[in-house]
Amino acid sequence: MKDPRIFGLMAEFGDVNSAITAARDTYAAGYRKLDAYSPFPVEELSEAIGFHKNGVPLICLIGGLLGGTAAFTLQWWINTISYPINIGGRPPNSWPSFIIVTFEMTILFSGLSAVFGMLALNGLPMPYHPVFNVPQFDAVTKDKFFIVIFSSDKKYDPVATRQFLEGLNPLSVAEVPS
Amino acid sequence: MTAARVNNTEFAAPDIVNTIHQRSLAVGIIFGVASLIAAILPGTREQFFHSYLIGFMLWLGITLGCLAILMIQHMTGGMWGMVIRRQLEAAVKTLPLMAALFIPVLVVGIPYLYSGSHEGGAGWSGWFNPDPADKHLVEMSHVYLQRGGTATFLFLNGYIGRAIVYFAIWIMIGWALLRKSAQQDDPPIENLSPRFRRIAAPGLILYAFTISFAVIDWVMSLDPHWISTIYGFIFIAGELLSAISLMVVVEAIMSNYEPMVSLLKAKEVQDHGKLMLTFVMLWAYFSFSQLLIIWAGNLPMEIRFFTRRLNSGWQEIGLVLVIFHFFVPFFMLLSRSFKRNPHQLAWLAGFMIFMRFVDLFFYIEPNFHKSVLGGVAGYWLDLVVPIAIGGFWMALFFRNLRLRPLLPVYDMHAQQFLEYAGASHE
Repeated sequence: MKDPRIFGLMAEFGDVNSAITAARDTYAAGYRKLDAYSPFPVEELSEAIGFHKNGVPLICLIGGLLGGTAAFTLQWWINTISYPINIGGRPPNSWPSFIIVTFEMTILFSGLSAVFGMLALNGLPMPYHPVFNVPQFDAVTKDKFFIVIFSSDKKYDPVATRQFLEGLNPLSVAEVPS
Repeated sequence: MTAARVNNTEFAAPDIVNTIHQRSLAVGIIFGVASLIAAILPGTREQFFHSYLIGFMLWLGITLGCLAILMIQHMTGGMWGMVIRRQLEAAVKTLPLMAALFIPVLVVGIPYLYSGSHEGGAGWSGWFNPDPADKHLVEMSHVYLQRGGTATFLFLNGYIGRAIVYFAIWIMIGWALLRKSAQQDDPPIENLSPRFRRIAAPGLILYAFTISFAVIDWVMSLDPHWISTIYGFIFIAGELLSAISLMVVVEAIMSNYEPMVSLLKAKEVQDHGKLMLTFVMLWAYFSFSQLLIIWAGNLPMEIRFFTRRLNSGWQEIGLVLVIFHFFVPFFMLLSRSFKRNPHQLAWLAGFMIFMRFVDLFFYIEPNFHKSVLGGVAGYWLDLVVPIAIGGFWMALFFRNLRLRPLLPVYDMHAQQFLEYAGASHE
């Protein structure tokens, strides 16, 4: 059934609202392996194609906790065990003065884990992606919205899926070569 | 010019607003009577004014926090502001009530608040009644209260004069914004956003200065020998937090009724949740900075604030603040799904308003009692009086909310907002 030369079918929309409606209809029709592309982030569009959760927040949280713990432990170890110095008569474990570095390291590590976690999960950098084989797709960075149903979807059928997409009133429907 | 005004039935506040208005008024009257009795009885009068200052600062904080968020919202734009603009404006409209509520402090309360701390033998004398041996304080109190010579206390009083200036500035900013807002509902439609910004930009600067001066005047001066330069910012962060928390509580109530059922989106609620997280962190950041700088400096005049609050039971209240004013809300607000549900978020928001009360209690009460148990017999008033003020405040707030449509429909962004809200509603 599946033609390895075909990545999927792409429908083009002229405005955000018809793209959202079309994405909802596509999802409701039973298609699950699909993606939507827009010139700016549209939260409803992500929800419409069933994209709810990802692992980035968890990676970010774990990274932040690790960074904070490491920073505090490092300062505590230096000041109490490795090289204790009497600073103005304060106790070696002067935790209030450790908080700033702990805070900064929490932010740094959670920020870095968010960036690298995101890259790891979404597979970027990606030098080649089939959607760019369609000439109209260039407008995705300007003013057009696109929905692609992958050929790997169980319901995908070269004829029926094309008919279905054309029923959504798109500006155009194109086959995406892989 | 003949075009109709915004139809008040379109986007009108739901009937629940009336119900809450009446209930708040009833609560205000019941607790108000109890407070009044406490104010009249000589045995509880001093405690009444301590409690009154806590309640006044709590509700003034919410009012001014709403004013600040309204100005920020005019400066930054964004959909999050569109759905709460009318609620913010209704809160700003309560400023004359707050000004009126300060009169009892000015007329009667000053001696009960600013006479220093004498309990437990280790106290200090205050601005109002300085110890003659404390030459510096005597001299400063003349400057501070503009007292002395032949001038009588009530007429030439620096404290009263400054209070009038603060309220005049706040009411002027609020009035200017509300007047523009009323104009906006009145066709012909013109883009008033730049006009709003022209008020909001200097207004925000004025707000930061005046609120800093006001809290130094009204709260920090309870202990005349102690100074902290970050004090005003701690209160600003707290005010913004209590204001956005109240907005979340109100929007959770309104989200059950039209028009908010169709207007309020999870995304906007999430934005308000993010603001709560920001202000929780900001409050913690400022509060910790104050602790760290004073702790690191370790100077006798500065550490008195913390030596009093970290001993004799007060440290338990401090611990409660660290845990429930920072750690618990911080970790809860990290969750995205939690921030997107207005009803879950509203519970935390209501709790944060209570924690604002605890924070003010921690700032104000230790000035009068060396040990936390020293004033335990009177602390019930610390709850009663803020609830009384809150009852009247809420009654006025919900009455104001009733008077105008819940969405500024003629705002530049409103049309875009409605289109967007409509699309995702199909």
